[in-house]
Amino acid sequence: MADQALPVGLGEIKISSSPGDVLVAYGLGSCVGVGVFDPVSKVAGLLHAVLPQSLNGTEQVPGKFVTTGIPKLLEEMEKAGAMRSRLHVRIAGGANMLSAPGAKQAFNIGERNVQQTRIVLDGLRLRLLAEDVGGTVGRTVRLYVTDGRMTVKALGNQEKALA
Amino acid sequence: MMNNDEKLKLFLETTGIQGFQHAAEGLSGMLGEQIMSSRPATRMVPLVEIPNVLGGPEREAVGIYLQSEGDLVAQFVLVLPFEKACELVDLVIGEPVGSTKTLGSMERSALGEVGNITTGYFLNRVATIMHWDARPSPPAVIVDMVGAILNVVTATVAGISDEVLMLQGTFVRAGREVEVMFWIIPDANSLEMFRGTGS
Repeated sequence: MADQALPVGLGEIKISSSPGDVLVAYGLGSCVGVGVFDPVSKVAGLLHAVLPQSLNGTEQVPGKFVTTGIPKLLEEMEKAGAMRSRLHVRIAGGANMLSAPGAKQAFNIGERNVQQTRIVLDGLRLRLLAEDVGGTVGRTVRLYVTDGRMTVKALGNQEKALA
Repeated sequence: MMNNDEKLKLFLETTGIQGFQHAAEGLSGMLGEQIMSSRPATRMVPLVEIPNVLGGPEREAVGIYLQSEGDLVAQFVLVLPFEKACELVDLVIGEPVGSTKTLGSMERSALGEVGNITTGYFLNRVATIMHWDARPSPPAVIVDMVGAILNVVTATVAGISDEVLMLQGTFVRAGREVEVMFWIIPDANSLEMFRGTGS
């Protein structure tokens, strides 16, 4: 069966338990992708968060922010039959795209996204299994529902698995 | 009767057209070739649609990114497919088209100069019309996937809104599309200033 790519756009959360589905967040820069997989119920979920947290506290699109997106991702996973204690959690992204000499960058959003992700995961007592974060290059993140494999691909590089 | 936002859009468009024409003149002068600007459009673009330009978020592209400070605070992004960026370098340094295959530091600085000229000329014209003073930051040249490049813009806007007001235009080289998208994303305070002046 051919893989079915399900794009996960800016601020989106997608959940699937259909083998053959691949959840894909294309071209993450400073954004962070949080992938979770329950190896027993075979439910997978991917969040594509843009910023660490909402400035005004209220947010209609929870997936846009790390602080609201991760709890929402877990809620959706549990609704689909996953169990929190079994989750494999991996993260990727959080690059600094404005690293060129002379570039003006008052605050590094990518780094803050990654820090906030760690804080939220810690608070929820979720252990991070693997990560590929930071640096200065964009990444495409894939989460294969068949076996829970999460991969990262940068421009001009091979797709590599996050063990 | 037009509402405030329609007025603002119309005003931005009018200013933008002149700014774009001026930017094209600057670029023509730099390249020694006639470069025309398409009529720019002011659009509200949903945030989620931004990475879907130029063949989608995973496509290899080049972004030339600047910010302006002063009376007009805005982000300026020139985005073009990788191969078109190489052609642009050939034009800037006067090599036959097809000579440039990779973008090293010399090529990147040539592209940065294109960003400087375009943005500088744009700001210049806006300054004349509005009596505003604004300066561009040094350019950052990013070679990466479209989504990752434009993440610089989406990340700064996402906290405020689900849509972005942008001025979008294309430069055309005699008979041949250069296919450079030039985006200008004014920040919220600058939009208020435009609104105050335009209404």
